Amino acid sequence: MDKLTIITALIVLGIVWGGLAFFIFRAVKYEKLKTENGKEES
Amino acid sequence: MRFFILNTMKQQEFFSSRWALIIATIGIAIGTGNIWRFSRIVAQNGGGSFLIPWVIFLLIWSVPLIIAEFAIGKSARFGPVGAISKTAGKQFGWMGAFIVFVSSAIMFYYSVVTGWCLRYFFSAASGDLFNTSDHLIYWNEFSSGTGPLIFHFIAMFLVAFVVLKGVTRGIEKVTKLLVPSLLIILLTLFVRAVTLPGAFDGIKYFFTPDLDVMLNYRVWLNALTQNAWDTGAGWGLIMTYAIYMKKREDISLNAALIGFGNNTISIIAGITIFSTVFALSTTDAMIQVSQSGPANTGLTFIYLPLLFSNISSSSSLNTVFASMFFLALFFAAVTSLISMVEMATRTIIDFGMKRKRALIIVASVGMLLGIPSAMDLKVLANQDWVWGVGLILSGAFISFSIIRYGVDKFRTEFINGFGSDVKIGKWYNFVIGILVPVQVVVLISWWLISSVSWDPEWWNPFHSENLGTVLFQWGIVIVVFILLNKTMVKHIFNEKSESLLSESK
Repeated sequence: MDKLTIITALIVLGIVWGGLAFFIFRAVKYEKLKTENGKEES
Repeated sequence: MRFFILNTMKQQEFFSSRWALIIATIGIAIGTGNIWRFSRIVAQNGGGSFLIPWVIFLLIWSVPLIIAEFAIGKSARFGPVGAISKTAGKQFGWMGAFIVFVSSAIMFYYSVVTGWCLRYFFSAASGDLFNTSDHLIYWNEFSSGTGPLIFHFIAMFLVAFVVLKGVTRGIEKVTKLLVPSLLIILLTLFVRAVTLPGAFDGIKYFFTPDLDVMLNYRVWLNALTQNAWDTGAGWGLIMTYAIYMKKREDISLNAALIGFGNNTISIIAGITIFSTVFALSTTDAMIQVSQSGPANTGLTFIYLPLLFSNISSSSSLNTVFASMFFLALFFAAVTSLISMVEMATRTIIDFGMKRKRALIIVASVGMLLGIPSAMDLKVLANQDWVWGVGLILSGAFISFSIIRYGVDKFRTEFINGFGSDVKIGKWYNFVIGILVPVQVVVLISWWLISSVSWDPEWWNPFHSENLGTVLFQWGIVIVVFILLNKTMVKHIFNEKSESLLSESK
């Protein structure tokens, strides 16, 4: 596999899959915070 | 006073949690377009050369428009007609009606496509699909008979039953079951596909860019079109589900999750299909992936069944894999169809009708107006062309309504308002106020100008895929809704106020 293919795969998967993992992680974090702060009761 | 009442209304139903909302909305975004259209378009546009612009348009088209739809729906608490009227002004309610009409017109033939997937699942599970030596004949026999009509009715009936149960007990419950099942099936197929001997060539093609191809403007326009068509951004469907999100729910983070989640599924499906085709194809793999077939059905309903019959030496295992593939396709289609039916139903509810009665009307009209597409693939191709491009105009109307309201005000009040986990910066003003409208103008112009070259009689409104038929059908719908604008808006806001006043008594 040539360099360009590897770079493209890394960019595409890094942004799309990496981005998804990052946003899931943040959403879980904020949900935890909301639960701890009792926002669920509102 | 009226706005106070509207904004403090007590809604009957909400999605029970953030994850329920996200799963349901991902169900909108993931459709058959992720599985069959994406792979075909990647193949036609030079593999890896297509993926880079496709990722860029995820960031400057899909995610900003999903954010916009969430914010409009959450703040207005109306279907698109009322929501656009509240955001852009009451004289623009017809734009909301156009958005509803476009997605409903897609619903009519999408129900037919959902029926095909269900029928092929049964064919695969029963082993019937592998009893034929020529899958093109098999497809032609099915599509020219009464099968598509029967399965269109079944699909519409199943979806209507789900929507009848309401948001929490119907839509949420079903999508919570179907979306994870779809992911499990796709991941199973993905693992099988990438472990086939020769699969690596498919993956390599999928990620290898050709810089010359990448500089071709068509690749960029196709990448934008794919984002516009497969993420559900600009359809008004996410706006409808946002009506049922709790006030404390976040907008921007959820929107990003949906956009990135949708494109993740496309990549998984793409790698699966490319690996399978390159590993098992005895003829030119690229021709097989990029061929369209009647109404773009070639790859999915004609060529993949042939490949599935060779995926292993065990015929029962082949049956399992083929069944899983068509079941995944059916689940993907059903979760999107549910949202289309819900949007049309919700719009009628806004006019003061009860859910059950509204749904009966939507399902009956859906069954009836889907018949021409079920009986004739040319009608289906025509509707797919006219309303597929119409979606881009829908996206433009959403962007327009935000510009009318004031982009900065919209961002600070609605997107970054109560419940937001992540604040969106001023970059959003530029994207939604300038970049999205520019993309709309370029994309619509390109599609319509291209269509002139396909057909010497480009002006003829009775041809299947040309400029004339688009302008003719759009024109009728827009003129009718502009004429009905006052009546529609008056009815929606009066009904809402009356129902809220009676609730508050």
